[in-house]
Amino acid sequence: MINPLDLTGKHILVTGASSGIGKATAIYISKLGAKVTLVARNEKKLEDTLSKLEGEGHSVYPFDLKQVEEIEGLINNIVSQKGALNGLVHCSGIATMRPLSMTRTAFLHDMMLLNFYAYVELIRCSSKKNNFTEGASFIGISSARSISGDKSQTAYCSSKAAMDAATRCMAKELATKKIRVNTVIAGFIKTAMYDMFVGNAGEEAVNSYILGRQYLGMGETVDVANAVAYLLSDAAKFITGTGLIVDGGFLS
Amino acid sequence: MTTQEKLAMLEEIMELESGSLNAGTKLEDLEEWNSMAALALIALMDEEFNKILTGKQIKEFKTVQDILDFME
Ligand SMILES: NC(=O)c1ccc[n+]([C@@H]2O[C@H](COP(=O)([O-])OP(=O)(O)OC[C@H]3O[C@@H](n4cnc5c(N)ncnc54)[C@H](OP(=O)(O)O)[C@@H]3O)[C@@H](O)[C@H]2O)c1
Repeated sequence: MINPLDLTGKHILVTGASSGIGKATAIYISKLGAKVTLVARNEKKLEDTLSKLEGEGHSVYPFDLKQVEEIEGLINNIVSQKGALNGLVHCSGIATMRPLSMTRTAFLHDMMLLNFYAYVELIRCSSKKNNFTEGASFIGISSARSISGDKSQTAYCSSKAAMDAATRCMAKELATKKIRVNTVIAGFIKTAMYDMFVGNAGEEAVNSYILGRQYLGMGETVDVANAVAYLLSDAAKFITGTGLIVDGGFLS
Repeated sequence: MTTQEKLAMLEEIMELESGSLNAGTKLEDLEEWNSMAALALIALMDEEFNKILTGKQIKEFKTVQDILDFME
């Protein structure tokens, strides 16, 4: 028997590993054999994720990724202590909704810091000589919102579209280093972020909107984790510079 | 910050004529009090008052006075 998603011995950095998609991804890829390094701000929650991982060699690096200038030091630390990266998954993200009338530059900037600047900086630093291994796979969690806009989502949608655009550029540039770069374009997934969205937009509106468009129903974190595992694995060795849509039909 | 200044902020996020709100105004009587205004209010509380307002708390607001109280 073969396991095309086998990640045995691969060192994968997962941001946002304290909650939702990042947490589920970390747990899932550990079951596929990966050695996972967990990053987010909340150390207690990271420890909880750590306790749920299978296998050995995992570790926790509490860090605020909005401190974009410090990311280089973080990556250097992780690589020197845990070894070069076979992969990186940027699941940290915020999705604050704000009407255009309140979307001032400072707010846009704050959204970009984590969703976009940190993503590019993580990849910039991880793609430096000796920080990655041949065949490495870097992944960002983008959103169906990068393609389909909505009221009060100018900042969020733009940050995810920027992530997708940068992915296409970085994939071309890093191909010579044998690094692949992709995003997973996720639909609505049941997490804390989704609950916040429902709290703000109202349950009825959300239900009719989601059930109407996302016709496979509500997504689960494991649906995204599966797609991430695939993109990390050698089964996806011919896939780069693209966004894998995992949205229960939302965009169709 | 005076009550007048706070009312002016609320008028601005709902795009109401200045002077059209008072503390006793019932939110359900305001056509402009909708989901966009609620999100704008969350942003206003965050930026001007350093307070986190949730969708759940917003549902409990009945009058403009309830919002003013939250701003304290
Ligand atoms: N849920 C959905 O429907 C959905 C759909 C499409 C795309 N996505 C994307 O999927 C990603 C994960 O979302 P989720 O639904 O799993 O949300 P979540 O449960 O709210 O998780 C967000 C994660 O981001 C981390 N984070 C927030 N601020 C951070 C900071 N300053 N530095 C480092 N980490 C930070 C949080 O950890 P700490 O608080 O511990 O720092 C947490 O682990 C996001 O990029 C989101 O845009 C979600």
